[in-house]
Amino acid sequence: MSEMWLAILPHLAHQAAFGALAAAGFGVLFNFGGRTLLWCTLAGALALAARTLVQQFGGSLEAGTFVASLTTSCAAILAQRWLGPTSSAVALAGCIPMVPGAFFGQAMLGYIAVAADTSGTATAQLVAASQAFVRVVTIVGAIGAGLAIPAYLMKSRQF
Amino acid sequence: MLERIAHVALRIGTTLAQSGASVRVVHEGARLVTSGLGAEVLGMRSGYASFEITVAMGPLTTTRMMQIGPHGVNHRLDFAVRDLAVRASQGGMTPEEISAELLRLVQETPRHPPWLVAVATGLACAAFGRLLGADWPSFVPTLLAAGLGQRIRHALLAHHTNVFVVAGIVGYFAAALGCIGARLAGSSTVELAMMASTLLLVPGVPSTNAQTDIMDGYPTMGSARAITVIMIMVFAVTGVWLAEFLLRIHA
Repeated sequence: MSEMWLAILPHLAHQAAFGALAAAGFGVLFNFGGRTLLWCTLAGALALAARTLVQQFGGSLEAGTFVASLTTSCAAILAQRWLGPTSSAVALAGCIPMVPGAFFGQAMLGYIAVAADTSGTATAQLVAASQAFVRVVTIVGAIGAGLAIPAYLMKSRQF
Repeated sequence: MLERIAHVALRIGTTLAQSGASVRVVHEGARLVTSGLGAEVLGMRSGYASFEITVAMGPLTTTRMMQIGPHGVNHRLDFAVRDLAVRASQGGMTPEEISAELLRLVQETPRHPPWLVAVATGLACAAFGRLLGADWPSFVPTLLAAGLGQRIRHALLAHHTNVFVVAGIVGYFAAALGCIGARLAGSSTVELAMMASTLLLVPGVPSTNAQTDIMDGYPTMGSARAITVIMIMVFAVTGVWLAEFLLRIHA
């Protein structure tokens, strides 16, 4: 068991570290203040660590994203004592590194290539582009649902 | 009096909307201010570009509408305005005092300096690249390309350029710079570096706000946000496609 964790740990640490960096960077872009930025960094690390763990245990990217959003939202609600009313914003910032912008790019570039194809053999490309688009929809849905469900159930949707 | 109450409630609501708040928060902010001033909200309607409110005081009612400016995300202003709405709801403030305080918040709420935003955005995109599987040689080129992309976006938006046109231009420049930089750095993941360099354009907050609005019972606003997100991404990807075409990158 411990050997398995030792094998997972470097990749887990890598994903958490870069998730934290991405969340902090976007936190600055969204004009979060100093102390809240620190919480965004922690939320980003938590989200990416949770997603990576689910994937390591055989879960899909979509399932991992849903569990990660759910975990981050619950953690932010539990930390409301320190975070105050910004807890939902911190949870959202932590999940930003999971937004599938690259998949959307893949899908659109794939569709453009299909549109430009004159050989009539673009079926594989069309399937790949459509798959990428479906992944965008499901991952964005997973983030939204994962963030919203705990907030609705725990009635923490404060002003 | 009623007109002044409606006006300040609309100003609170539109400022919240422009700072990235969901419709539920926009309506709650306007309602708090209205009740603090001794009036009652009979109805509100939020569109993507306008906000309407009907307020009543005894037998008198008035309906007013206000334009919503460009949508952005400004966390500190968002929460400062929410705090103002809570204070106003406790009474003791006049519409003019609330209006003056709101103006002060809009003008004085601190923002990070543009150079710091550019560096942070560059770092975020480079980190995104690592999460997507880009190699280490592409890290610094992605950071620089996305950072420059953010500076270009900042400059274009300051000149009131259309947001979709900005997405296309920034998508092109960031992707081209990321590609050239990653090639020069000897990266074997040039295409990932290109894509990561443009991820600053992904409207993450509006895409989750779209879902929140729909779940809260505001499908019109949610749908408008979703369509705007898709349009921005289409323009951004068009920029990436143009960079790929000109730099002879084949996906």
